[in-house]
Amino acid sequence: MIDTIFIGLSLGSVLLLVALGLAITYGAMGVINMAHGEMVMIGAYTAVLTSLYLGFGLIAAMPVAFLVTALLGLAIEKLVVRRLYGRLLDTLLATWGVAILIQQAVRLSFGLAFFGITVAGLGPGLQNVSLPEWLGGTFSLAGSQISVYRSFIILVSVALAALTWGLMYRTSFGMQLRAIMRNPQMAAACGIDTARINALAFAYGSGLAGVAGVLMAGFKTVFPDMGTPMVVDGFLVVVMGGVGSLIGSILSSAILGQINGLTAAVSNDIIARAIVFAVVIAVIIWRPKGLFSYKGR
Amino acid sequence: MKLSKRGLNTAAYVVFIALILAAPLVFDVFWLNRLSKYLVFGMLGAAIALSWGYAGVLNLGQGLFFGLGAYAIAMSLKLASATSLAQGSDTPIPDFMLWNAEPGAPTELCCITQGSFLWIPFQHTWFGILMGIVLPVVVALALGLIMFRKRISGVFISIITLAVVLLVRLLIVQAQPLTNGFNGLTDLGYLTVLGLEFDPYMPQTYYLIAISLALVLIGTRMLVETRSGLILQAIRDDDRRARFLGFDVPRYQAFFFCVSAAISGYAGMLYVMASEFASPTFMDLSFSITMVVWAAVGGRNSVLGACIGALLINMIEATVSETPALMEAWRVVIGLAFVFAVLFLPRGLAGLAMSLRDWLVARSAAEPRSLAEPAPAEERS
Amino acid sequence: MPSTLIGADPASAALTLDGLTVDFAGFRAVDTVSTVIESGELRVLLGANGAGKTTLMDLVSGKTRPTTGRVFLGDIEITGLEEHRIAQAGLGRKFQIPSVFRDLSVRRNLEVASCRNPGVFANLRLGFSLAQTRRVEEILAVVGLESKQEVEAGSLSHGETQWLELGMLMAQDPKVILLDEPTAGMTEAETMKTAAIIKAMRGRHTIVVVEHDMAFVREIASRITVMHLGRILAEGPIAEIETNPDVRAAYLGSKGIQ
Repeated sequence: MIDTIFIGLSLGSVLLLVALGLAITYGAMGVINMAHGEMVMIGAYTAVLTSLYLGFGLIAAMPVAFLVTALLGLAIEKLVVRRLYGRLLDTLLATWGVAILIQQAVRLSFGLAFFGITVAGLGPGLQNVSLPEWLGGTFSLAGSQISVYRSFIILVSVALAALTWGLMYRTSFGMQLRAIMRNPQMAAACGIDTARINALAFAYGSGLAGVAGVLMAGFKTVFPDMGTPMVVDGFLVVVMGGVGSLIGSILSSAILGQINGLTAAVSNDIIARAIVFAVVIAVIIWRPKGLFSYKGR
Repeated sequence: MKLSKRGLNTAAYVVFIALILAAPLVFDVFWLNRLSKYLVFGMLGAAIALSWGYAGVLNLGQGLFFGLGAYAIAMSLKLASATSLAQGSDTPIPDFMLWNAEPGAPTELCCITQGSFLWIPFQHTWFGILMGIVLPVVVALALGLIMFRKRISGVFISIITLAVVLLVRLLIVQAQPLTNGFNGLTDLGYLTVLGLEFDPYMPQTYYLIAISLALVLIGTRMLVETRSGLILQAIRDDDRRARFLGFDVPRYQAFFFCVSAAISGYAGMLYVMASEFASPTFMDLSFSITMVVWAAVGGRNSVLGACIGALLINMIEATVSETPALMEAWRVVIGLAFVFAVLFLPRGLAGLAMSLRDWLVARSAAEPRSLAEPAPAEERS
Repeated sequence: MPSTLIGADPASAALTLDGLTVDFAGFRAVDTVSTVIESGELRVLLGANGAGKTTLMDLVSGKTRPTTGRVFLGDIEITGLEEHRIAQAGLGRKFQIPSVFRDLSVRRNLEVASCRNPGVFANLRLGFSLAQTRRVEEILAVVGLESKQEVEAGSLSHGETQWLELGMLMAQDPKVILLDEPTAGMTEAETMKTAAIIKAMRGRHTIVVVEHDMAFVREIASRITVMHLGRILAEGPIAEIETNPDVRAAYLGSKGIQ
């Protein structure tokens, strides 16, 4: 039983890292970033490539992945998203185009495939990252065998969620960002450089997704299309939790992770995913504002 | 000659319909079959334009209705195929059901696997055809009434529809003994209606699809011109204002949501006739979003534009997919085209065409009016 | 009809409010408001910000449900009905922030408003009747937007948008019309034109206007209801209100009406 709950918690943790970035960008900027899943994918490939060429372990890959995806996020914000503020559904469509581009970039080894060059670790195939020995095993807790790696995922996610919370509620950046979330016009009128804050928030959210990608690389195969289900799940978490509510995202990712883990334990992954979708649909219909939305005017 | 907006609009429809009806004179059967699939995609583009452009409802699960239509008729065609008839039973049995059946299970549709009785009415082709429209409409009606009554709008509709299509896709995959799971329904028979057999590589199938598309385009265009269509656009602009004018907003939205679903379901049926399979990939997220891409590139506010967008993209794709390396590059082009269309051409190709139309009308209005020609009635488009 | 309202003539009452109250978590934004608006009357609703005028309109038009109390349109009770049902019963409303169909032409806006039948199937037909077209043209003339009839409503100026919305109410042709600050943000010239349009609507419709601009109120009003903290403070002809000591004390402060 405890091991099942642990599986649910670790699923929820990865979900949370993906969703946190979306919660910030969607809440603050009203941008639906469909390329967010590709940040997860790029993070996972960073783990693959750094271990292949630089001999990095998973932990060393994390800051690298954070940087790479944060920069990529910054570029997307400056080139595409910035021009579409206020056009919510259009950001969804444009970033879907961006997502295709990023996928193709990996599949075609950044265009090198056209010249017949194949790069180990890129291309359309499947990649794997091996876990270091000390993360690989299990330990027993109250009679159940618990995977060390899953506990590691939970620890990293909790640490990053705490960091995000601190950033949002204990720094001037966070205060400005929260002001933009509540009322962008008013925030701008108060002298907040909304363009700069938005760009930074976008980069930070992308970076978190990159770290999630590294974590995923440790227990899943890595391939160019792996991001699409992630962005869908991330959005379901954000919408169910309530747009603009960090605590909502945290709780709903925990809930959905547990539902997924528990159902998968008694039936299979397909049913588990179907039930997650059904729960989210029911919640959105029942409370379109989400479970934990703050009261706007 | 004096040009009017309405005249040029009509001309665009006439030219397009004439072109698709004349295509068999140019293309061989192989290309005609491909083209007929793209015409089906064009129909989907029109359905998206209706719900997105005119109703302001961005459905990211249009593939659900397409898939339901496709599966409904594919079930009938599966039962009508040779592979189902030759299974040593009085009534047809889909081959995959036998492969998956428990040893000793009766080889009857009623009870070969759990739920297989649901296939029984599909032995009548007419039932399959009927369900191809009824199923999508019933689902759309239920979903639409719930969503629109709760005044859910904008991106929340997109998320709900997206989650619903993925949910149904998972259920179909999960119900493997009943639906053949990931593999979908293949080895289908030809549709035979009133003694007419629709071989996908024969011109009659192409004509059926082309005429269907022409009727759907004209019908949709007329529908948005009606008072109800006008009120629908008003609701898109400001649903509260419409409500306080006395319109039952959820009913209008649900009605047009159902029409869009019916068109998609019909498109799904036609696609099965042309391609001879139905698959859960019809309900993939990427397919539903791809439809929206077609409409965005073609012009979300134009029924014909969205249709042409779908046709163009697919025809170019078919041409480049001859070479595998180009195919991958093509996806890059699609991604770029999409970003650029949203950024720089929010009204799509149709927006360009409309600007050209307005310029032509303005230019012809500036010409001195000849005495021989009567002044045209005032035009509103 | 409610029997509590003594002196009301049921035959001529267009809008009757009977003890209308709404409670937002302990805060009574509108508190036992009762009044009768006679058929053909033009009633002005005065009050400071937060007096409950807009909330009262929300209660009447169905945007908010009253906690207690009842609303009658003529002799039909409309308390707590959905917005579109109340509109169908014969009530029109203009919002404080003008609200029109931005992507439709001015003419289309009026045509939509003139669709008498609310049903989706009943409206599955092309074109408009001759009478409707004529009425739309009349309204275009009254609100002075004839030259802009093919323009998209989204590109109109603020004043023009307000007039279009008034025109849409005329096209809707309800018995009772609620207008929430129709001159907010207008220049003096625009205000006077709005007054002229509202005068033209008078007689055909019973009108309730929320307004702050006293010059405008003197121009159009016959009877005034003054609200204060959710309650009715005074009601009567303009001359009576201007000299009412309660009103002076509560609403106008020591300065009196300018």
